[in-house]
Amino acid sequence: MKAAAAGGSRKTKYRQLAHTADLGLRIWGATREELFENAGAALTAVLTDRRRLRREKTMEILVEAPDLEALLVAWLNHLLYLYDVDAFLGREFQVLDLSPQRLAARARGETYDPARHVAQTAVKAATYHHLEIANHHGRWQATVILDL
Amino acid sequence: MALSVKLRQVDEYRWEIPREGKMRTRGLIFASQKMLAKIQEDQSLQQVANVATLPGIEGASLAMPDIHWGYGFPIGGVAAFNLEEGVVSPGGVGYDINCGVRLLRTNLERPEVEPRVGELVNALFGNIPSGLGSRRKDLKLTVPTLHEVMRLGAGWAVKNGFGSKEDLDHIEAQGQIPGADPELVSDFAMNRGKDQLGTLGSGNHFVEVGYVLETYDEKAAAALGLFKDQITVIVHTGSRGLGHQVCDDYIKVMLKAAQKYGIELPDRQLCCAPLSSPEGQRYLAAMAAAANFAFANRQMITHWVRESFEQVLQMGPRDLGLELVYDVAHNIAKIEEHQVHGKKKKLCVHRKGATRAFPPGHPETPAAYQKTGQPVLIPGDMGRYSYVLVGTEQALTETFGSTCHGAGREMSRKAALKAARGRSIIQELKAQGIIVKGAGRATVDEEIPEAYKDVETVVAVAHGAGISKKVAKLKPLGVIKG
Repeated sequence: MKAAAAGGSRKTKYRQLAHTADLGLRIWGATREELFENAGAALTAVLTDRRRLRREKTMEILVEAPDLEALLVAWLNHLLYLYDVDAFLGREFQVLDLSPQRLAARARGETYDPARHVAQTAVKAATYHHLEIANHHGRWQATVILDL
Repeated sequence: MALSVKLRQVDEYRWEIPREGKMRTRGLIFASQKMLAKIQEDQSLQQVANVATLPGIEGASLAMPDIHWGYGFPIGGVAAFNLEEGVVSPGGVGYDINCGVRLLRTNLERPEVEPRVGELVNALFGNIPSGLGSRRKDLKLTVPTLHEVMRLGAGWAVKNGFGSKEDLDHIEAQGQIPGADPELVSDFAMNRGKDQLGTLGSGNHFVEVGYVLETYDEKAAAALGLFKDQITVIVHTGSRGLGHQVCDDYIKVMLKAAQKYGIELPDRQLCCAPLSSPEGQRYLAAMAAAANFAFANRQMITHWVRESFEQVLQMGPRDLGLELVYDVAHNIAKIEEHQVHGKKKKLCVHRKGATRAFPPGHPETPAAYQKTGQPVLIPGDMGRYSYVLVGTEQALTETFGSTCHGAGREMSRKAALKAARGRSIIQELKAQGIIVKGAGRATVDEEIPEAYKDVETVVAVAHGAGISKKVAKLKPLGVIKG
């Protein structure tokens, strides 16, 4: 495995993991807030080429869940909801407030335009299977499996 | 990991995971020796064992020959629970509630259609929105209409002029799962569904024009209206964002419910509630609503398939003969009556990537197929072939009337993209006589034929074990992908 796979590089924000039918995401962050921000970016990167997205639209997002891990799933699924309903794709994410049961965040991005954006892999949902958030040597790491 | 799961060979096609630890029953896997090596590479066998720990499970925790690693339940998993102590689990149905397949036959033969396949593919692609987040600009449903769709299923489409009464007689459960309650479907789910009725979506969903390459059982093929060289159409899609949201909403409910009812979970994705609990009942009613949306979706798409053929071939409906052979659900939980220890008993049968396969003479087998058994539709990858089978008595006694649902992935999507790098999959398929049009390059590349098991090996096990019977093999000519 490469250094990034072990989370060795302090700059790595996320990495995709192979899974037979689906796709796993491993996400890192210096803080829990950064972990959630990077998770948003990791999801967008599955759906499209994130670099081609403009910062045109801002969405305020509030999600709640019984614990931090479930909150990560709720966050990603809410982003998928915004994509389905408003065709909104976030390029950048900012956590405004985070507790284990509640996340307030802001996403900046734009409406998906098939003429300018690359459609990559469709994601049905983030799942609770093998879901994990842990702190390794002062750095936060999350694993989440997406249903494609 | 999978290596720790004990496995005992029963016969050529059957493998048993003996009951151990917290398992309440054994696991039973249908596979050939050759397939098993691949199956053991991931965690799907552990998932079969995990399902066996759930309360009220009847018979074995089953896996069909296309088993692969899912999230929670394995894909290809079948599990039945009694209504007294048993549970219902949204993870045992999946996010794409009532993802399924329908097969249409025609009066047309291959030589007359083959030169026009390119035009047909373009027409289908133009008439059926597909791809990431596909939506219909011409059909946006209001909340009352959406409720009606979720109550009536395919019947809603027929009532509004999209298809005929005969279509409904050729759909599992007549295209309407009873007990649907749209009031239990969230606003979030309805927002996602309002402009997605009649859309294909992305991933492995497709519409395929093909022909009958070979028939194995002349009598059954004739009963299904199939003959060699006949043009056929397959539609594979489900309940779109509406279904995904219903699943996600109820997984949250079930995480709490599992705790409330003291159900021990080996994996959070297996969260569930007793079938007798309000949470369990509510999920079943919301799931039925989403399943009905999916039946309506495939019915609407069928309408646009018919229109596309009429446009391109300049023929009327009677000459085209685009009739529905059958429509099956392969991600669903259903209340069915089965024999348990010699007694008739109502059970909740979860089929997660598995197809119902009821035998001849079964009351739920449609009238037209009472002598042959219920048609089972097994799509393969876009480069090889698909199969039509029929249900058997053996399936009813051994697998709660279930069989496989597809080829099953063998390669991760990541690995598939890597294998497709530097190649034009569309050109490669064209050289084989298959015209493919996809909304995005990635969805075509991820679905390269070699990413899948050869569906022939999957069907050979289902046929060999007797849980369904081969009727015909179909070969693709043109495919639209999401």
